[in-house]
Amino acid sequence: MHEASIAYELLNIAVKECSKNGYSKIKTIKVVIGRATGVVPEALLFAFNVLREDTIAKHANLIIEEAPVKGFCKDCKNEFESNENYILFECPNCGSFSINLISGKELNIKEMEVS
Amino acid sequence: MKVMLTTKILDANERIAEENKKMFKEAGVYVVNLMSSPGAGKTSLLEKTIEAIKDKVRVGVIEGDITGTNDAERIDRFGIPVVQINTEGACHLDANMIANAAKELPLKDLDLLFIENVGNLVCPAEFKVGEDVKVMILSLTEGDDKPLKYPLMFQESSVLIINKIDLKDYLDVSIDKIKKDAQFLNPKIKIFEVSCKTGQGIDEWTNWLLTSIS
Repeated sequence: MHEASIAYELLNIAVKECSKNGYSKIKTIKVVIGRATGVVPEALLFAFNVLREDTIAKHANLIIEEAPVKGFCKDCKNEFESNENYILFECPNCGSFSINLISGKELNIKEMEVS
Repeated sequence: MKVMLTTKILDANERIAEENKKMFKEAGVYVVNLMSSPGAGKTSLLEKTIEAIKDKVRVGVIEGDITGTNDAERIDRFGIPVVQINTEGACHLDANMIANAAKELPLKDLDLLFIENVGNLVCPAEFKVGEDVKVMILSLTEGDDKPLKYPLMFQESSVLIINKIDLKDYLDVSIDKIKKDAQFLNPKIKIFEVSCKTGQGIDEWTNWLLTSIS
């Protein structure tokens, strides 16, 4: 249910950005949601569709781009991708724990189409 | 036309959380964000913990619930500062709620502040409130499949308290599996096994807590 808070915040950011730059209508908002954030895209979309009423995003489409969990192993120098919805701490190739997370925790607004 | 953005959606919450953290630090208060499912034993753990350490450190509590003052009344019996937040339906506490609740507390007269989050194993994990440490409770009755079903909470928490271990002989649940899966998700997680009913393991937890504060 915390998707409602996230939808509220993203609408807030989008509407503020528009009023700052003189746009009056939002057509689309594109967001990137990492798979390890625990955010359910369907729930986010549902909350967005309720909350967009009475805003300049009333007719806006929310496009959700899911980002997979990706890491880079500093030992075997391999990049890996996981289908799981949590962060990996162990390299699936060599078992090392020296890992840099590349993607999976995103919760960002990427772009909007406005007029 | 297209507008490119690179804004974090929870930026506003994170900014307020940082302000809270600064405010707590300046007041010299160590802040614990306590999270779990409903009924795992958050308030019971607080009662046991306060009982054990109240002569050593000055403790305050923020209680987060959807509605009601039951938990705040349980804490109030100890004669320590307590504030109840009613989220009126929201499934988690956010940084702004904590900023407002903190105004009601004598922060300068506290060493330790517990924030008891809304009972929920999902949403609270996503929202920083300005805490020093996130502590989660999993009770044995919830089952040993929970770490892999709710990975975010286990990955965000620094401490896992396994509660209700007095029931282990009555349940088909493996404490080893809980620990193994929690450590798989979060190799650095610190684990305590306790029973708030019998008091078993409370000392280890409170000793760790007192060391962290000092």
